[in-house]
Amino acid sequence: MSKFLKTLCLGAAVFALLPAAYAGDAAKGEKVFKKCAACHAVGEGAKNKVGLELNDILGRTAGSLEDFKYSNAMIEAGNGGLVWDEATLATYLAKPKDMIKGTKMAFAGLKKQEELDNVIAYLASFSAAAPAGEQSSAEPAAAEATETATAEAPAAPVSTVRDGGVFGLGRVATAEEIAAWDIDIRPDGTGLPEGKGTVAEGEVLFTDNCAVCHGDFGEGVGRWPVLAGGQDTLTEERPEKTIGSYWPYLSTVYDYVRRAMPYGNARSLSDDEVYALTAYLLYLNDIVTDEDFELSNQNFTEIRLPNEDNFIADDRAEEPQYAQKGEPCMSGCKDEAVEITMRARILDVTPGSVDDDEASGVGGVD
Amino acid sequence: MTDKTLSRTPQLSRRSLLKAGLAAGAVAGTAGAARAAGDPAITEIQDWNRYLGEGVQARPYGTPSEFEAHVVRRDVEWLTASTESSVNFTPLHELDGILTPNGLCFERHHGGIAEIDPAEHRLMINGLVDTPLVFTMEDLKRFPRENRVYFLECAANSGMEWRGSQLNGCQYTHGMVHCVMYTGVPLKLILEEAGIKTNARWVMPEGADSAAMTRSIPLEKALDDCLVAFKMNGEALRPEQGYPLRLVVPGWEGNMWVKWLRRIEVGDEPWHQREETSKYTDLLASGKARRFTWVMDAKSVITSPSPQAPVSHGKGPLVISGVAWSGNGRITRVDVSLDGGRNWQTARLDGPSLPKALHRFYLDINWDGSDMLIQSRAMDEHGFFQPTKNELRAARGENSIYHNNGIQTWHVKADGTVENVEVS
Repeated sequence: MSKFLKTLCLGAAVFALLPAAYAGDAAKGEKVFKKCAACHAVGEGAKNKVGLELNDILGRTAGSLEDFKYSNAMIEAGNGGLVWDEATLATYLAKPKDMIKGTKMAFAGLKKQEELDNVIAYLASFSAAAPAGEQSSAEPAAAEATETATAEAPAAPVSTVRDGGVFGLGRVATAEEIAAWDIDIRPDGTGLPEGKGTVAEGEVLFTDNCAVCHGDFGEGVGRWPVLAGGQDTLTEERPEKTIGSYWPYLSTVYDYVRRAMPYGNARSLSDDEVYALTAYLLYLNDIVTDEDFELSNQNFTEIRLPNEDNFIADDRAEEPQYAQKGEPCMSGCKDEAVEITMRARILDVTPGSVDDDEASGVGGVD
Repeated sequence: MTDKTLSRTPQLSRRSLLKAGLAAGAVAGTAGAARAAGDPAITEIQDWNRYLGEGVQARPYGTPSEFEAHVVRRDVEWLTASTESSVNFTPLHELDGILTPNGLCFERHHGGIAEIDPAEHRLMINGLVDTPLVFTMEDLKRFPRENRVYFLECAANSGMEWRGSQLNGCQYTHGMVHCVMYTGVPLKLILEEAGIKTNARWVMPEGADSAAMTRSIPLEKALDDCLVAFKMNGEALRPEQGYPLRLVVPGWEGNMWVKWLRRIEVGDEPWHQREETSKYTDLLASGKARRFTWVMDAKSVITSPSPQAPVSHGKGPLVISGVAWSGNGRITRVDVSLDGGRNWQTARLDGPSLPKALHRFYLDINWDGSDMLIQSRAMDEHGFFQPTKNELRAARGENSIYHNNGIQTWHVKADGTVENVEVS
């Protein structure tokens, strides 16, 4: 049965009373929205983050939210009469930069029509002006989920016992399965896939996918990680630990970008794209200076990062306070009455303290 | 009658009075007046004494009393760029004993909470093994399993205090630690099921979350006491703690306890992943950085009194309480100072003393109501005792972020309020 027919049957009573529902499935759209959630919030209490909060986005004029800093291009589009509805939003989300040249949104776009439909249906469920499509689409979704579960239940993995091993538990992993998950790279180049990419290609990718958090030149936006610069700051009061100033191995850059970036859309870059981005990060850190430089699995291990030799083994046990193992002092350990030298209250950066909205402390968790 | 309101919710009213800046003595006075006429908590029949309460299925999964609603994990918004790659903190000041309730164990994610259907979860063992294997959750539950109580401390716990006292409350200064009982399969059994090749020296666990967390762990540790755990405190792991499967790496930094564990690779060299190069390496004053600093050293903190748990009852009997732990094994002793580290007395350890687990200590004093600078100093079974913060700074500088196990000082004032301070 087609999804549309199912909607008619299962949601008929509700459907008849409502204006046109959305083509997508809001419940599935919630999953798609995870790609957006690094920058956008929606729902109760949603606030602007890197991107604007998306409550009531359907039916709103583009660039019209008062307390969000839009690109000029978006404001102009709104002045030109662009209102977000199912059609305009679908066009925009498919290829943001094609529709609004100069948009701040770095997201490359949703390739699948189904994902577009579903995420718009999801956003519509937080938009008062939108035709109420949520209920009619949510019901078949639930029905579908049940059907799927029933149909697939017999295929669910059952525990089997194999020959070999101590307990005979588990099954042999296939080469395809290992290849799908084993994507780690070591400093000696073990694990590098075939491929290549240039600094110039990397710059385009970086601007589209990375600059929204890391800044156009890897300088970092707000508290997002700084990726470039900081050379010779490691002994200063505020060291800047970047790929160029701190990271010991280039393999870590390739490995990490491929497994976890862009933030909120991991595993979306091709191997060549990761080579190009890695090349561009070398360029931003002045480790290569030629825009035509091409990084590949062939020349990868020739590149050394400047700080490699400054990492040492754990020698905490040799520090004086640990070397003095034994009975600690119990009385008269300090000559004079103890004085307070510093108070947390002066900084006032504890959550819930008087001015904590404004205050920001130093240091971090990573 | 205001007295009645007060007596109905003694905890809340005491809290709010304290917040309003009234001295603890005034509260005692009010309570005294109420006692003269008979305490209404006794002389009046309370609602809960007269009427039926909710039935058995009103709370199919039990939750704390509404009067405990303030006992929650909290975050520090300015610390991180987004909540999906961030941390919140265990409310240590509200807890006692050595076990942390599952819902209060601090969270640290690098790509948000992965919500995983256990039927779709797999654990793969590959690399330098005789047979690369895939296990379902069902498979894993057919191995012999163990129950072990361990603390988990983030290496960056107290990391915001390197340059001096900054955050007012042990939840924020020390709350990246928790301690639960894990049920799981020894990693040794799972690796041996695949057959470890003779040139294997390292393993690398990997998470199934959007950060695909990875760390290199020496094979020796993997075969010693690591667990592949699926339960905490008897029930399934919470999603934010790695449901359905996490690695347990006793005594070592929390970042290595990979959550949503989906793969363990066996190799002959470390991988130098992001979380063991650009992060979780300890920058020294010289510009050199230590790497592979795995063990969490002996540490302790007084959880009450502390800035979020002021003394509300005035002078007289006072229970000073806290927790101590060491990645090297058992805590054998905790000393407490009331005068900023000039003189010390040995506290009483109470409850089970388990290796690489939280230990609970108490010092029961008769407080004279004067200012105190309270500190605790833990000692472990290997004779390591906790250094002062200044000793650590002298050895490492102020940019290490990680492994700050320095002695914490709380200033308890005459009015019972408490502040995070540093002392001479």
